[in-house]
Amino acid sequence: MPRSRSTSATSSSPRQRKPAGSGTARKQPTRAADAAPAPAGAAAKGANGLRVRMYRIGFGDFFLLSVPTGSGASHILIDCGVHAKDLGSMRAAVTQMAKDCGNRLALVIMTHRHADHISGFGSCADIFAQIEVERVWMPWFENPDNPKAAAFQASLVAMAGQLGRQFQMRLAAGPDPASEQLLSMAENITGGLGVAGIAANQKALNVLHGGFKGSQPNHDYYKAGDPPTLPPDLAAAGLTADILGPPIDDALIGQMTNKNQQYLAGATESSDQPERSKPFANAFRGKRDDYGDKAFAPYGFDKMLRMLEGSQPDILAAQAQAADKTLNNQSLVVLFCFGGKNLLFAGDAQWGNWENFLYGGAYGTPGHTQLTARAQDILGKIDFYKVGHHGSANATPKDAVKAMRLGCVGMCSTQEHAYNEVPRAPLLEALRQRMNDQLARSDQIAAGTDAPANPDAGPLPKAFSAPAHQLFIDYDF
Amino acid sequence: MPHRQRFTCDDVTPSGAAPAAHQEVSDDIFSTAEIPFPSERPLNVYAFDPSLGKFVGNQMVTHVRYESLEPGPIGERFAVLDYDGSQKTFYKPVNLDDPKLLMTNGLPPSEADPRFHQQMVYAVASETLQRFEFALGRRVRWRTRLDHSHPPAPRGASRRLNLFPHAMCEANAFYSPDAHGILFGYFKASRTNPGRNLPGQTVFTCLSHDIIVHETTHAIVDGIREHFMEPTNVDVAAFHEAFADLAALFLHFSHKEVLVDTLQKTGGKLFEFKLKGDAELAQGATPAIQSQLSTENPLIVLATQFGEAAGRQSSLRSALMTPATSDGAKEIATKIEPHERGSILVAAVFDAYFTVYGRRTFDLFRIFRAGGGNVDKSDLPAPLANRLAMEASRTAEEFFTICARALDYCPPVDITFGDFLRALLTAHLDYTPDDPDHIRDALMQAFRLRGIVADNAISFSEDALFWPKVVRGSLRVPGLIFGDPNGLTKEEKDHNGDVLRAFAVKHADKLGFDKKAGEIAAPSFHPMFSTGKDGKLYVSMVVELVQTMRVPFGHGVPGTFPLRNGVTLLIAQDPPEHDKRPDPRVRFVIPKLYQPEREERVRNFYIGSGRATTTSPAGHDGDKRFRLDFALLHAGV
Repeated sequence: MPRSRSTSATSSSPRQRKPAGSGTARKQPTRAADAAPAPAGAAAKGANGLRVRMYRIGFGDFFLLSVPTGSGASHILIDCGVHAKDLGSMRAAVTQMAKDCGNRLALVIMTHRHADHISGFGSCADIFAQIEVERVWMPWFENPDNPKAAAFQASLVAMAGQLGRQFQMRLAAGPDPASEQLLSMAENITGGLGVAGIAANQKALNVLHGGFKGSQPNHDYYKAGDPPTLPPDLAAAGLTADILGPPIDDALIGQMTNKNQQYLAGATESSDQPERSKPFANAFRGKRDDYGDKAFAPYGFDKMLRMLEGSQPDILAAQAQAADKTLNNQSLVVLFCFGGKNLLFAGDAQWGNWENFLYGGAYGTPGHTQLTARAQDILGKIDFYKVGHHGSANATPKDAVKAMRLGCVGMCSTQEHAYNEVPRAPLLEALRQRMNDQLARSDQIAAGTDAPANPDAGPLPKAFSAPAHQLFIDYDF
Repeated sequence: MPHRQRFTCDDVTPSGAAPAAHQEVSDDIFSTAEIPFPSERPLNVYAFDPSLGKFVGNQMVTHVRYESLEPGPIGERFAVLDYDGSQKTFYKPVNLDDPKLLMTNGLPPSEADPRFHQQMVYAVASETLQRFEFALGRRVRWRTRLDHSHPPAPRGASRRLNLFPHAMCEANAFYSPDAHGILFGYFKASRTNPGRNLPGQTVFTCLSHDIIVHETTHAIVDGIREHFMEPTNVDVAAFHEAFADLAALFLHFSHKEVLVDTLQKTGGKLFEFKLKGDAELAQGATPAIQSQLSTENPLIVLATQFGEAAGRQSSLRSALMTPATSDGAKEIATKIEPHERGSILVAAVFDAYFTVYGRRTFDLFRIFRAGGGNVDKSDLPAPLANRLAMEASRTAEEFFTICARALDYCPPVDITFGDFLRALLTAHLDYTPDDPDHIRDALMQAFRLRGIVADNAISFSEDALFWPKVVRGSLRVPGLIFGDPNGLTKEEKDHNGDVLRAFAVKHADKLGFDKKAGEIAAPSFHPMFSTGKDGKLYVSMVVELVQTMRVPFGHGVPGTFPLRNGVTLLIAQDPPEHDKRPDPRVRFVIPKLYQPEREERVRNFYIGSGRATTTSPAGHDGDKRFRLDFALLHAGV
């Protein structure tokens, strides 16, 4: 993988994992704290004025990174969306952000096209129409000139739409929290249908592709390893960036477009007919008595029927979860470096995206079972980590947590009860330990009177600041 | 090759059809007026699936062992229960013992009559089981419960598996231990891209020969090995898919008519993807009539109708998807989707198969050419095609047998492609020490060319790849009972279990277990009786010893997972010497033991594949999440 900053990668990276045991003795699982952290680096002064601002909007990501340059602060917007548990504060937060950046953004990064990362662009299109943007970065899946990527995204959205209709039908039959969550998952991909029948996410994407003020920004579509182009003032100020994800995954695309999609097509075609299709003429209908006594032994007829029904998993649910994961794995993962400080924004990358960065390929295939030296090196010196996927268990692999520098700082944008087990308490606890308690959660502050701070989230750690009656939390380097 | 010769056991009266009791005892023990029981039952089936129509040999007659059947059919090993879960109805069961059907090889092939579907599912599943039992030299039992935390299944469940030919309206078919059976779905073909099917036509997975064999094979493997379905590494799910595909593909080569036809159309090159049409077509010209169209070689592709109905241009998979090039070797590091990854293993085995077939027919081609024959013209004379077909099907038979036997030479847990290669080579060496056609070398090279390596072998040579043999006589298991080919009694089984567990504790160090890490169980032991090439009868037993540790995920992930260490033992019973039967002797110890790296790999793999958290609302699913779910796997989720 070609890299621009490879020189520093050769510096000694103390291996943080214990060397493997001698083989005969059985090793107890390592729970104890891992080895010593890498030295913190003395360039603290160099990053003065660098600030990460996290807005509280509910279950969604909305971050503003402000970088000091020769001509004052320059701003990078990383995602702007909310989906489940919308607190209704999006409009106020976007207005605030427009003020914060003086209606001028040097760079907008869309990590991936889930509603909880882009809905703000659509719902506040009028505000964004007043903001000048110099560049936009997106994952390579969004490149309109890549026919394969475009077809893939189209099929993913179409599939999510079909799934959404199926779950709506289930909900029409009666309330069911599980189906609600699945519907929410499907609608996160489409954004839900607007009044005019246009998927809300499409509206947001349209803004990203050409809804800003004045001359439209340059668009870059990146994959892991691409050397990114920064706006000149940011580059001049000394900011550098690496793209760590998403990988090019032809296999993923092939898999989705063929099998899953087609499977679903089969399932929906039959179910949208009013009477379910009968495979055989009525003459062939039989009854239980057509079989002899021996037939249902040894389980018996009733048990056999229950076993038959119980053995059929909810494929549509699995499908929705798979689609959700697929889209999360498209996340653009960016490592910024400024004044000796390293900031990792991982979007909602899940295992499939991380594993390429962590292990250099599909985990478990020959040669890809250990963290690569480069991954160790990068994680061993990060100073800031945007916790992936709102703190869910599948978005920060434990090997990544273990390799992170002790005492780095983290921010997690989340809201409870949007999805099962998100945020995942044990993961946040592990991160908090790793970070010496410097982990901020967006629900540690109130968003207006209707959405007070979540008492279970604990107080905001001292490393962060949050002015009263504001919708954001700051971390100043 | 027809299996006629194999089941000529007409002296065994099938149970359930016992002759009437009023039979008079006659003085003449050599004569009787009774009609002998037939040894086999011929049944109509599709050789491939309905989409191939009357393509040569597609409608064929298969022969399964005779047993008297109740309507269903309900037999000793399979019960076909035609309950449609989507329509909530039964379909009328076929009575194959109806005299009208006995005269006509059962019902003729038909998509519209569910009773033919029942007949085909019964016939093909039975044929598959019989092939496996023949190759393994023993009876296969079905799995009856997921693990020992579940209550034991009622008696008899391990003898009979349920087949549901129209279980649901879904484009899916899968083996489910929960249902103690195989569920076949039916679905509407794609409206936009249905291939050879009518748009929106109903497609039945239970009419695909390949799908039936594939699913039956999953059930057989699950019955043989207790912990094989735990996806502890990237190869496990792929291995199951590959193994089931191999069984389905090798069965193609027993269909003589298709084989001869394909040989003639490919000029003997069985591995070619495309068959030329029957009518001549000039180079670059456009086909004008159907017989000029070239078709996919049906022998080396799987589930054509299903693939096309689902909107693909072609069949589901083919035997030769991974080329023997350096590009092909890279796929082992990039392909992780189980079917795609499995196709690498399938390609390796089929590469070896076609290589050996080439070696065995080389002389025939030389003779043919020496006599002035031209093989480029691809129209082979019928006698040559017949001879080639014989070789092809004999070799396929042999390869299938090696693959099936290799199961017994795999470690009991955490299988990888590399382990399977070592098992294949060792099994073949054990059964066929001499190897004039270099089958082992062909296998080894084919695997090497696709980047499949064995983890722990010192080098990629035959000697290094054989599992190490235990020094003769250095490890014995006194008291083990082998019984006879008709099986063990419950008492004998209990006794053997006790003997093996005690043996495992006593020799834990030698076998490589850490006694303190947990109890060592003996989930299975199977006596085997096979005739060697030298004509001797070999009596042996394959034993799994498995130790389960509960290991925490740690690091922000709550809960624990089962980490299993195990060995497969192959134990031989030697003939008596000096009027004394020697203690059974351990010949192979095939290990997958504890290593910290393996623990870490399994942990990461479970977390990475989302198995660290339960999805069931109760939060407890009795470790079911640590097993493969074929319903999801085959749906491509």
